[in-house]
Amino acid sequence: MTKRNNLVFIGLQIVSWVIFVGLCIEAGAMIVNFVVSLIKPEFVRNLYQKLDLSQMYNTNIWVYFGIYGFILTISILKAYLFYAVTMLLHKLDLLKPFNSHVADTIKKISYITLGIGIFSLVAREISKNMAHYGIEIDKLNQFWEDGSAFLLMAAVIYVIATIFSRGVEIQNENDLTV
Amino acid sequence: MPIIVNLDVMMARRKMSLNELSEKVDLTLSNLSILKTGKAKAIRFTTLEAICNALDCQPGDILEYREHDNQTRSH
Repeated sequence: MTKRNNLVFIGLQIVSWVIFVGLCIEAGAMIVNFVVSLIKPEFVRNLYQKLDLSQMYNTNIWVYFGIYGFILTISILKAYLFYAVTMLLHKLDLLKPFNSHVADTIKKISYITLGIGIFSLVAREISKNMAHYGIEIDKLNQFWEDGSAFLLMAAVIYVIATIFSRGVEIQNENDLTV
Repeated sequence: MPIIVNLDVMMARRKMSLNELSEKVDLTLSNLSILKTGKAKAIRFTTLEAICNALDCQPGDILEYREHDNQTRSH
């Protein structure tokens, strides 16, 4: 492994840690907003990133819970995804990368990505239906606009995970060849 | 596994220790141990040649095929 590759790898670790911390802050802020909105309903006008869901809250409180549930789930899943990526980069040994832990983690990343994609698409369709009832949904699209991209990423990562698992089998066989 | 490795038997006949054999065949102790304990999945011809040379024996003296008990009962 060249020194340059190692520097790139260290850079990747730092970037993934930064993104993970950012996503944790976002998810935490959303959770706090949700709890505060339960205690003080007037807070619904000024949620995370100046989101105003007061119209939705006043029309139907369960719709508000449902939509906000989707927002929370997606943001928590994104934070968990980058936690998995960070742990993978942290534990990856470039001299011997083919081990079962790495293969399992990559598979886990593909499942989380798939979950994000599915939740995003479902939430987008549901919020589109809400528009028919006169509820404004423009500012909600930012939370699930990249659902298709996550589904594509999930498929690609799953293929990579399958190939990696095969690599692990070959590595194990190689290790037991004298 | 149907392939039995009788390395320890040959080593006892030639009165050779694992350390001596590992030095003669240029194989690490851990790899020889993997072979001796039957955990190996494959053996290279070069390794087999080196072991046969060191122990002055034939591959058949080290490797044995034994059918599983289930298969022998069915026959």
